[in-house]
Amino acid sequence: MSGPAVPDPWETLRKLPQGRRIELTSADGRTWRGTTVPSHELSGPRMVQIKLENGYNVGVRVEPTDTLAVLPEEPSNGNGADGGTAASAAPEATGLATGPWVALLSTGGTIASRVDYRTGGVRPVNDKAGILAFYPDLERGGPVRVVPVFDRLSEDISPEDWLVLAEHVVKAFAEGARGVVVAHGTDTLAFTAAALSFLIEDLPGPVVVVGAQRSPDRPSSDGFTNLTTAVRIAREAEIGEVVVVMHDGLSDDRFAVHRGTRVRKMHSSRRDAFESRNVVPLGFVDRDQLVWKGAVRPPSKGPVRFDGRLGREGGLLWFYPGLTPTQADAFVTPLRGVVLAGTGLGHVSSVHLPWIRSAIQRGVVVVMTTQCLAGAVDPYVYATGRELLRAGVVYAEDLLPETAYVKLLWALGRSSDPEEIAHLLLTDRAGELSERRVTSGEP
Amino acid sequence: MKAGLEVHQQLATGKLFCACPADLTEEVRGSVVRRLRATGGENRAVDPAAAFQAARDLLFRYEIVPSSCLVELDEEPPHALSEAALDVALTMTLLLHARPLDEIVVMRKIVVDGSNTAGFQRTALVGVDGWLEVGGKRHAIPTICLEEDAARKIGESPEGIVYRLDRLGIPLVEIATGPDITAPAEAREVAEEIGMLLRATGRVRRGVGTIREDVNVSIEGGTRVEIKGVQELRLLPRFVEAEDERQHMLLRARDRLTERGARLPPETTVDVAPMLPKGATGLLPDAARKGHAVRALRLPGFGGLLRAPEGGSERLGRELADHARAAGLRGLIHSDELPGYGLDPDAVERLRRELGLAPDDAFVLVTAPDARVAEKALALVRDRALQALEGVPGETRDPLPDGRTRYSRPLPGRDRMYPETDVPPIRIAPGRLAALAKHLPERPEAARARLATEYALGPEVVRQIQRGGAMETFETLVHRGFPAPLVARLLTQDVPIAETEAPAPPAAEIPDDGLAALLNLVADGTIAKEGMLPVLVELRKGARSPLEAVEKAGLATGPSDDLATLAARVVDANAPLIAERGDAAFSPLMGDLMKELRGRRDGQEVASALRAALARHKATAGTSP
Repeated sequence: MSGPAVPDPWETLRKLPQGRRIELTSADGRTWRGTTVPSHELSGPRMVQIKLENGYNVGVRVEPTDTLAVLPEEPSNGNGADGGTAASAAPEATGLATGPWVALLSTGGTIASRVDYRTGGVRPVNDKAGILAFYPDLERGGPVRVVPVFDRLSEDISPEDWLVLAEHVVKAFAEGARGVVVAHGTDTLAFTAAALSFLIEDLPGPVVVVGAQRSPDRPSSDGFTNLTTAVRIAREAEIGEVVVVMHDGLSDDRFAVHRGTRVRKMHSSRRDAFESRNVVPLGFVDRDQLVWKGAVRPPSKGPVRFDGRLGREGGLLWFYPGLTPTQADAFVTPLRGVVLAGTGLGHVSSVHLPWIRSAIQRGVVVVMTTQCLAGAVDPYVYATGRELLRAGVVYAEDLLPETAYVKLLWALGRSSDPEEIAHLLLTDRAGELSERRVTSGEP
Repeated sequence: MKAGLEVHQQLATGKLFCACPADLTEEVRGSVVRRLRATGGENRAVDPAAAFQAARDLLFRYEIVPSSCLVELDEEPPHALSEAALDVALTMTLLLHARPLDEIVVMRKIVVDGSNTAGFQRTALVGVDGWLEVGGKRHAIPTICLEEDAARKIGESPEGIVYRLDRLGIPLVEIATGPDITAPAEAREVAEEIGMLLRATGRVRRGVGTIREDVNVSIEGGTRVEIKGVQELRLLPRFVEAEDERQHMLLRARDRLTERGARLPPETTVDVAPMLPKGATGLLPDAARKGHAVRALRLPGFGGLLRAPEGGSERLGRELADHARAAGLRGLIHSDELPGYGLDPDAVERLRRELGLAPDDAFVLVTAPDARVAEKALALVRDRALQALEGVPGETRDPLPDGRTRYSRPLPGRDRMYPETDVPPIRIAPGRLAALAKHLPERPEAARARLATEYALGPEVVRQIQRGGAMETFETLVHRGFPAPLVARLLTQDVPIAETEAPAPPAAEIPDDGLAALLNLVADGTIAKEGMLPVLVELRKGARSPLEAVEKAGLATGPSDDLATLAARVVDANAPLIAERGDAAFSPLMGDLMKELRGRRDGQEVASALRAALARHKATAGTSP
C-alpha cells in the first residue's frame, strides 16, 4: 500500500520561473532560504543555484528527500524589472542644441549592460536611451544618435553583415552625421574594419570601429574610455577613412588610432590587443591630446558611396607542416580565390605546387601573404617563392592575411577575370598596401 | 553592546586565481593608470559606497611587481580557483563545525575604491552555520568565505591613489562570527582563538598584516558600525570600547537635540572672513589675510554638543571634522572650542552676533585657499549634522593607531554581488571532505594540553607560545635537542622583547635555523642564556651571522675571561668594601661582575665564583682589623 507520490523537488524547481523565493529543507533539517537564480552551464546534475539574503550564491544539490516550499513574492526592492529607470527618462536628443552629431551604430557584443543584483544576471542594454545613460560622457561635445543595427557576438558576424553595416554607415553620412562610430565585438573587429574600408568610397568623415576587451558590467571595462575616445575622434578628426580605436598600452590614458586595413587583434585578452602591423598607428590620443603620426586620408567632398558587390567564394588557408595537398585542394575546389598565409617570405611546401598550378589554370586566384603577420612577402629570394610566382601566385606585398581575404572577396565581387582581380589586389585602395617599411629608430 | 567579528587571514598557498606566488615586495617594475566607473546596473539602487567612491573622481595607479601577472592587471581572465586554498577553507569549515556547500559559486563583489583592478573582489561562500566555543560560551560562525585580498595601498597623490599589485589575489579565508560578543575583552579572546585555529592548519602567511579583523559594533538604540582592518589584536578591545562610548555619546547628543527641537533649515554658508579681527594673529585671521576663504555653517541647537561630554573622549565635533576631511581639508574649527585660533572672546561674540546665533546654537568654521573646497566641506559637515539628529549613522570606520576610529565611508549597500561567470562553479565531492576530515590539524586546546604534558611547561607559558604563533617553532627546536624551558624562554620572552627593541620589516624575521644557531651558542657556552636577547637584537638589526651579532652585542670573549681570576680581581679591588660590609658586600660585587659578564656567563656560575673568591679572600685576609 503506498500513499500519494511525493513529487521530486528537483522536477518542481526546474519548472519554476527564475527569481522565485524558496525554502529548501534537507532530510537532516538544514534549510536554505533565498531566491532561485539561473544555473551555470557547467553546474553539476540536480544543482540549484540560490541567492541568499547575504548576497552570496550557493549551489545546493537537490535530493529527492528534500522538502521544497515556494514563498510568497517580496515587494520589489527597486532592482526589479519595472521599466521606469533613470535611463529611460533621458530624452534622445539631450538638449545640446547645436554641435555636429555622431552616429553610434551598435552591432551587439554588449557595449552596455545592466546587472540585476536580485538574480545576478547581466543583461545587455540595447535601447538608445539606456546606452546614452550608461555613457554619460558621450555627448559632451555634441549629440550622439544611437542606431542599433544588429545584435551579434562578433564571431557570428558574416560578410552579409558587413554589407548591412556599410549601408547604415552611408545612410548616416547621407543624413548629415559628422562621423560614425561602430561598436563591435573585438574578435572579428579587424575584418569588419577592412570590409568597410573597401566597400565604402568617398567618406566625408571618420568611421571609427571600436570595441572593449572587458565587459561593461565591470567597473574596469576599457569600453568606457574606448567609446568616449571613439566618439571624440568621429566628431573632431579631419579624416575620411575607416579607423579602429582601442587602448595603446595598459593604462587608461592612451589610445591608438589604427588604419582599418592595417590592424589586427594580437592578444586574446589584453586591453592593448590591437596593433597596427607594418605601419605605425595613424595617431594617438595621449592624456586627452590627439596627435597624428601618419598620413591620414582627408575627408572626401562626397558623395559617399557604397558599392555592395562582395564575392563569397573566397577563402583563407593557413599553411603548416603536415598540410597535405589533398586537404588543401579539397578546401580550394569550390572557391574562385584563396589567400594563403604562407611561412616567412611567402612559402608553402613544394608538394603543394601541383594543386596550386591546376587551381590557377582553372581560374582560381591564389594570393600569398605571410603568417608572420609583419614584413612583406617576396617571391624572388628563395627557390620556392620563384616557383610559386611562376605558377601564377599573386604575391600580396605586406597585406595582412585577413585583410587580403576581405579584399579578395571585394575584388571577386567586382570581376571574374583573374588578371583583373590580381590587379585590384595589388593596387592600394584604402591604405592597406605600402611601398616602404621603416623602423621607428627605437631599440 | 553587541559585537561581531570578521577575521581575514592570508593563506600561504599561492594566489587564489592564478599561479603567482604570494610575495610582498618593494621591487616595482613599472605601473599603469586606470579609471574605474560605478557601472550601470546600479541604475536605480545606486550602491551608496560605490557612488561615494566614484564621486571622488580619482585615477588609480597600479605598481607592477615580479610576482604579478596579467590576471592581477585585469588583462587576462582569472584561472581556476586554487584547490589548495579551497582545502584550507574547507578544513576551517570542518574545524568550526560548519556545513560546506555542495557547489561553490564565485561571486563578484563591486568595489570601486581602486583596490581591485577589475573593480570588484572575487569572493565565494564555502561554509555556513558553524560555531566556536570560547571561554565556555558558544559563538555562532554563520559564514566562512574564501576571497582574494586587495591591492596594497602605497600612497595618495594629487593624481590619485597608488596601489601595488603584490597583495592583490592572495587568498583570504574570512570567518564571520554572529553578534555574540558582549564585552570588549571577549572580542580579543574570540579573535585569538580563531587565529590559533587558522594557524593550526599550517597553511597561513605569518607576519604583520597577514591577519586582519573587522569588528561590527552596535548598542541598543544605535546602529551597526563597521570598523575595518584592525591589525593589532591587542587594540581590538579598545576599539570596541571606544565605539561603545561613541555610540552612547551620539545617542545622548541626539536626545539633547530633540529636546531642544533642533532642526537644520536649508541654508547657505556664510563668508566670515570680513568679520574676523583685522589686527589679530592666529590660524583664522592669518587665513583671512592670505585671502583664503573662511566660511561658517550655522548649527542651531548644537551648542555644547560638539565637545566631549564630561569624562568622555568621543565627541561629535570630531565626527564633523572627519567628514570635512573627505573634502580634502585638514579639519575644522567648531564653536565649542572657541575662543582660540586667533579669536578672542570679543571676536567670538561679534561673530555669534553677525551669524544671528542664539545661546544654544553652535557653528563650524573652515578655511581653504579655494572657496569651492570650503563649500564642499561644509556641505559634507551639514549632511553629517543632519544624521546627528537621527542618532547613530551606519558607516564604515578606519582604526587608528591610538585606539580610536575615524569615519571612512558609508556602509556598503547590500545588493552589489553577482556571479563571476569566468570561473565555473566548483562541486565539493563528499570524498574530498572525508579526506580532509581524516587529517584535521590538532585543535589549539589539544595542542596546549599536549605541550604542557610532554614538556612539563606551565599552562601560561604554553598559552603564550601558542598566542605568539610559535608552536611549530617550539617543537622543531625542542626536537633538535634544546632544553624545553630554554626554548620557551627564547620564544616567549627574548623574541617578543627583541621585536620591540629592533622592529624590522618582515623580511628580516629570524628563521628557525637562526634561532637554533642562537641556542647553540648557549649550548656551547659562548654566551649565557641572558645573552640571547642582546644577540637577537643585533641579528634583527642586521648582523650577518650569530658570531657577528655576539661581537656587536659586546659579548665576545676577551682575554681576561677566566672567571676565577676576574672574581678574585674584583674582590681584591673592593677589599675596603668587604671589610666594611662583610657578607653584605656580595650583592654590590655581584652587580659589578654581572655588569661585565652579563650574557657571557651564567648568573649561577658567576655567583659561585664570587663566593669562592670571597671565601678565599676571607681566609687569606685573616681576621678583620
